[in-house]
Amino acid sequence: MGLTSSLNIAVGALDADQGAISVTSNNIANVNTPGYTREIAELQEADPISYGNLVLGNGVQLGQVQSQRNSILQLRLDQESQQQSSSNAYLNAMQQVQTLFNETSGTGLQSSISAFFNSLQQLSTDPSNTALRQGVMTAAQDMTQQFNQASSNLTNIQANLNLSVSQSVNQINALTAQIAQANTEVTTAQGLGENAGTFIDQRDQLVQQLSGLTDVSEITTNDGSVTLTTSSGIPLVVENQNFQLATQTNTSTGMQDVYSQGTDITSQITGGTLGGDIAARDQAIPSVLSSLDSIAAGIENSFNSAQTAGYDLNGNPGTNFFATPSASGAGAAAGMAVALTDPSQIAASATGAVGDNGNLNNMIAIQNQTVVNGQTPMNAYSNLIFQIGNDVSNAQSENQGAQLAVQQIQNQIGSVSGVSLDEEAANLALYQRSYQAMAQVASVVNDLMLAAINLGDSSTQS
Amino acid sequence: MARVNPDITPDLLYSIELSKQNQATASEEIATGRKLNQLSDDPSAAAELVQTNAQSSENDQFIQNTDDIQSRFQVADSTLNTAVQVMNSAISLAIEGSSGTVSSANQQAIAQQVLGLQQQMLSLANTSYQGTYLFAGTDVTTQPFAQGSSGAVVYNGNNSTASAQIANGQSVNLNVPGSQLFQNGSGSVFQSLNDLYNALQSGTGVSTAATEVQQAFDQLNSQRVFYGNVLNQLQANETFLNQESVNLTQEQTNIAGADITQAATDLSQSETAEQAVTAATAQILQMPTLMSYLQP
Repeated sequence: MGLTSSLNIAVGALDADQGAISVTSNNIANVNTPGYTREIAELQEADPISYGNLVLGNGVQLGQVQSQRNSILQLRLDQESQQQSSSNAYLNAMQQVQTLFNETSGTGLQSSISAFFNSLQQLSTDPSNTALRQGVMTAAQDMTQQFNQASSNLTNIQANLNLSVSQSVNQINALTAQIAQANTEVTTAQGLGENAGTFIDQRDQLVQQLSGLTDVSEITTNDGSVTLTTSSGIPLVVENQNFQLATQTNTSTGMQDVYSQGTDITSQITGGTLGGDIAARDQAIPSVLSSLDSIAAGIENSFNSAQTAGYDLNGNPGTNFFATPSASGAGAAAGMAVALTDPSQIAASATGAVGDNGNLNNMIAIQNQTVVNGQTPMNAYSNLIFQIGNDVSNAQSENQGAQLAVQQIQNQIGSVSGVSLDEEAANLALYQRSYQAMAQVASVVNDLMLAAINLGDSSTQS
Repeated sequence: MARVNPDITPDLLYSIELSKQNQATASEEIATGRKLNQLSDDPSAAAELVQTNAQSSENDQFIQNTDDIQSRFQVADSTLNTAVQVMNSAISLAIEGSSGTVSSANQQAIAQQVLGLQQQMLSLANTSYQGTYLFAGTDVTTQPFAQGSSGAVVYNGNNSTASAQIANGQSVNLNVPGSQLFQNGSGSVFQSLNDLYNALQSGTGVSTAATEVQQAFDQLNSQRVFYGNVLNQLQANETFLNQESVNLTQEQTNIAGADITQAATDLSQSETAEQAVTAATAQILQMPTLMSYLQP
């Protein structure tokens, strides 16, 4: 008990206030830093001092600096980010696919299929007319080129997605290595009883970036490190160790498969850009390609068999109109080609007479026959158009939903962790006033001590 | 009171982006005149549009077919019209040649005229249109009628017909075989002319030959009706197809066309909304915090 202890209390309080002002200052400095979690200086009473049965307070001390975070919200943000990035990547790819089928402006495949059948209708009015026969050949070539083009454009989109898969895997590997490093920093800091807030902020940012790339499951262990696996349980980061993913060319598809520890996990990846790219590359685009192939193969096969039932302009039996597609139809659109080399080879006649168009009428009838998996060619094509449009439209809704969810969770996180300049200003004013008050106290104690020192000395006046 | 997220910029920017998107949609509708610009705008409408466009394209082809067949039939019909007139002249000559007062020399002269008519008829029966013979059945590249050394005309075409579609589920025959027109069993044009010529030459059986010519005339006339009937049918069909074309265009507009009035209203509304949200954002972002009021 005495003036010295009062002075000590004052000095301790000045220290505590300086610490609190430093926390406020750091908060304000990071007001625009992405992923920054605001910190609060927790002031607490210093341990009291007992004098016999008298217990006196011993001032204030800065207990700890606490980051204001909600790990559940962060987890939900990561999950929604996976969803959003996945649907975003898928949507991007499928929007490219949809622009290939330019049916809304009437310049897609429909017009060239129609033009081909129309050229046959035209020829049926004058089956021996060479100019009209040439018209059929030209229309057939246009149509096959359109099929070739659509197919090769789809394959190009697929190849770009394939490239993106490799890039994503590289990015994932870089991030998991950084996260493993961050784990070490967090556990070390926490082991020393320090505030690991800054390291956790950095790690949360990395995990969020990773969530944008693939599906991630997180478990935080007792020592503060985070264990990351894919949603199907493939380990990515365990404590200070990361598990690299690798890509390997699939010999049958020519696409890059994703491997972990020697196991092909391609089909298990559902989230993030990687998940969206893989879904578009391995499912959506192959499905569109296969529908196109079916239509191409249906037209080719039915025309070939119609052709061979008739006679050409020279009275010879008809030969195949188009190249023969594979039995399964795979690759039919890419390989679609007109096999006839001369307009006279069109087997318009059913009887051999040059003015007969019986077989031509059989060919025209193909447009109303169910030659493509139980559908007419045009019905099959319009179904494909519906599917593509519907797929994009669903992906759009899903993407919008995920985007709103992300935004909402970010707002919730902000409401817990975001820096408010109003709050910081209030705190700053508060700490400033208490600092000034404490400095005042110190000054008074100083005067009192001076008075005590000069006690009995008449030459001095306090 | 719950703490709110102090960072409101993402929400504000999202609102601006949203109204910009609405604006872009409305502008695109006005610029293209279509409400259906991407398949995903309305997938079932896009699928329907494919079908309607295919129908419309087919319908246009039917109009083209109808026109082409019409031109061909007009030539055939007018050829047969001339053939009927030739037969008319032959009937007059037969009556003249079979009257009791006509001299043998005159009969010879008439026979020569009949020969001329026969030649004219031969050339009519061999009429071609755009490089193919009109009355050769489906053997359109072979000249159908030729005169043998005996003077009798031989048919080298076939007895087949071809048909072409002029509308959905509707076809017309493209020809009547020449044999049916000019060498019909119930009255053969060439046979009767030949018989008339021979009768006039010999001076016997002229009235029998005259009856034969009359029968051939009747037969030609009745066969010829086919062309007239089909021409009428084609004309009616063209009217129908043109109406169908209007209907299909209307349908295309209904499926894909923009409601321009609506789009213009949407555009001006979204512009107003965007101005409002931008102004509000600017104002909110400039709002001072408590920091601004602290005294140093």
